[in-house]
Amino acid sequence: MKLSELNPGEYGIIKEVLGRGTVHRRLLSMGLLPGAIIRVVRTSPLGDPVEYELRGFFISLRKQEASYIIVDRVVPLSMIPSGTDVQVIFIDGGVGFIRNMGTMGIAVGKKVHVTKRCCPMIIRTELGDFTLGRGMAYRIFVR
Amino acid sequence: MLVALAGNPNTGKSTIFNALTGMKQHVGNWPGVTVEKKEGDCIINGKKVHVVDLPGTYSLSAYSPEELITRNFILEENPDVIVDIVDASNLERNLYLFTELLELTPKIILVLNMFDEAQKKYNIDVHKMRQILGIPIIPTVGIKGKGIESLKQAILNSKKFTPPKIEYPEDIERRISIIEKKLRKENFERARWYAIKLLENDAEVIKKIGSQNREIVHLSEHLRHEIEDIYGDDIESVMASVRYSFAHGLFHEVAAPINVGGVTITDMLDHVLTHKYFGIPIFIAIMYLAFQFVFLVAAPFQDGLDFIFNGKNGVPGLVDISYSWMSSFMPAWLASLINHGMLRGLGAVLTFMPVIMLLFLILSFLEDSGYLARVAFLMDSIMKKMGLEGRGVIPLMLGFGCNVPAIMATRTLKDENERKLSIALNPLIPCGARIQVFAFLSYIFFPHNAAVVLWSLLMLSIAVVFVLGFVYSKTVLKGRTEPFVLELPPYRMPTLKGISIHMWEKSEGFLRKAGTIIIGAAAIIWFFAALPWGVEYGSEQSYIGMLASFLAPLGTHFGLTPDAIISLFFGFFAKEVVIDVLYVLYGSKEAIALAMSPLQAYSFMLFLLFYTPCVATLATIYDETKNKKFTLLVILQGFALAMLFSFAFYTIGSLMGVGT
Repeated sequence: MKLSELNPGEYGIIKEVLGRGTVHRRLLSMGLLPGAIIRVVRTSPLGDPVEYELRGFFISLRKQEASYIIVDRVVPLSMIPSGTDVQVIFIDGGVGFIRNMGTMGIAVGKKVHVTKRCCPMIIRTELGDFTLGRGMAYRIFVR
Repeated sequence: MLVALAGNPNTGKSTIFNALTGMKQHVGNWPGVTVEKKEGDCIINGKKVHVVDLPGTYSLSAYSPEELITRNFILEENPDVIVDIVDASNLERNLYLFTELLELTPKIILVLNMFDEAQKKYNIDVHKMRQILGIPIIPTVGIKGKGIESLKQAILNSKKFTPPKIEYPEDIERRISIIEKKLRKENFERARWYAIKLLENDAEVIKKIGSQNREIVHLSEHLRHEIEDIYGDDIESVMASVRYSFAHGLFHEVAAPINVGGVTITDMLDHVLTHKYFGIPIFIAIMYLAFQFVFLVAAPFQDGLDFIFNGKNGVPGLVDISYSWMSSFMPAWLASLINHGMLRGLGAVLTFMPVIMLLFLILSFLEDSGYLARVAFLMDSIMKKMGLEGRGVIPLMLGFGCNVPAIMATRTLKDENERKLSIALNPLIPCGARIQVFAFLSYIFFPHNAAVVLWSLLMLSIAVVFVLGFVYSKTVLKGRTEPFVLELPPYRMPTLKGISIHMWEKSEGFLRKAGTIIIGAAAIIWFFAALPWGVEYGSEQSYIGMLASFLAPLGTHFGLTPDAIISLFFGFFAKEVVIDVLYVLYGSKEAIALAMSPLQAYSFMLFLLFYTPCVATLATIYDETKNKKFTLLVILQGFALAMLFSFAFYTIGSLMGVGT
């Protein structure tokens, strides 16, 4: 789907940036790259442009430019209700964080069952039951 | 020693620059473009270091003037050290430019600015970062002056460091080195960088290398297609991804997040300031208060300066005193030229200053606090219709105060055509001086409907600006080539030092550049108003008077009386003078009221609304564009609109027999 089709509060992972030339390169240099997580923050009072959060900073894009960006909708694990099965799409962190998550069976592509959402979060992976801090669960994106 | 400061926009780069150079700075333009060039000197341990502030950019591709300037400066001037200033609280994105700089030169110092803010978000392991990168890394808090001394010492001790190479995946590296070897054979310096840029399809580099060696360009084209086939993506995405993963990796290696989520001050402020319903009304209220503040504070200064130069109620001003003193030892005409012409001109420039300085104060505050970006966010959809981006609303609003700072403020617009469009439209916004004249005239001629008359003129000017903006942007000044990607930086309290330096820089620039033009124009006006020698200043017998009588038959089509024409001549000098001239010619309000029919009066105001911008504005337009033809077109546009509206109104009014 297009980034412009996401609603405020929703998250997406960038799949592809379409277009050529200036528009394309400008978007890339701002960090709008495949694999990046982007959150829709709010819409301008008049409907356009829209504010997004990306890599910890905030940018505004006109709808026309946002339609060049193809995303998949994802949700942070921390927002998944109890009793849901999800698949890990992306882990936002460095090598150390990804390794730590791996020891709990949380890795890209793996299935996770949310036993209890809060607090703390209890999940079941193929390696067993684990508790997860909110900060950690916030950095794991699932579908 | 030559030092260049580079970095993203909104990283506090200018604060660091100010801290290094103090007031010893020079502001100019980069050759051929309207991007500001700031340079200054800094004495470190008795050694003089020349510091150049490169424009803020997000990357070093060849697409915007800012990027090209930064790149070419490093390539051509080969500074002794590059200081890359990053916003430590937004490290990952900022490190992207760093990776690009690193590819260009190993002589680099990394400044982690806003370090205090960053530490609230994550623990940055500076020591580890130094180990990984092998270059000096200086944490600073620019606004508090923290870390500046360490930075100075690091600059002085800088040498060719040995930072790591940005490694591309094997199949790209292999191709880079093929081109690199070829370039080395041809004795190109920075062969690796040129090789990467050739692969990356960089238009500038292809042009440069291509003019010397077509073969290498063809080879790199071939290799580029191979990479694109392997990765199934375009080369730009592939290369940018590699650099971003370097930045991403480095960031996660050295920064451990403390607290994810949680509500920040910026979140809270944005919730209100960009609110769906309240956002725009709050913006309008803020601007209204800002203007109230400007006029309230500026008025006594303006009156005071006016009193000093021109006197009041029989008390002689500086102009008269100096005139009688000088005419005792030099020919009267010379004394008159110096005093009635140039000194009065200087007075006019100076009376502009309080408003100009205060409007710049407001502008700096809006910019430095981060609110300007929110204004752009709020207003973009409206401004887009007239071919401008959201930030374009600020110069237009400042125009209601004074067109001079407003036109200087168009620098916030990055796109050249948008900037020209914004400059062309700005003089059509009635400035404070014209509003003052309209308020006075509507009160005299339409005592019962003064407010309606004034309102109608304001609405007309806004409508004209909108329609012309729409038309120009669809025809002669076709809009932007770049997408409108706007960063919304965190709100920050501007520092007094930062704001006052900014305000002083701009105002002083105006005084120096435009001032000379205005004083020159004042001398010319004097020439027309005072000659032939012996006539009463500005009377019907003077050249201005003669010109007015000559133009009188033409003026009748637009409802302009000869005296109105005289006042328009003087209004070219400064619009508020129109009232003074009418006063001098008629002696009292009542007499002025009888001098024109209501129909003539309104036609006169329509003419006054649009005809040529005043000398100060024209001087600024020329100074900002360095384009005589464009400046002339702005004058023609003004006269065309003035004649169109006053002719149409006067003709239709006369035919209908209204207000004659």
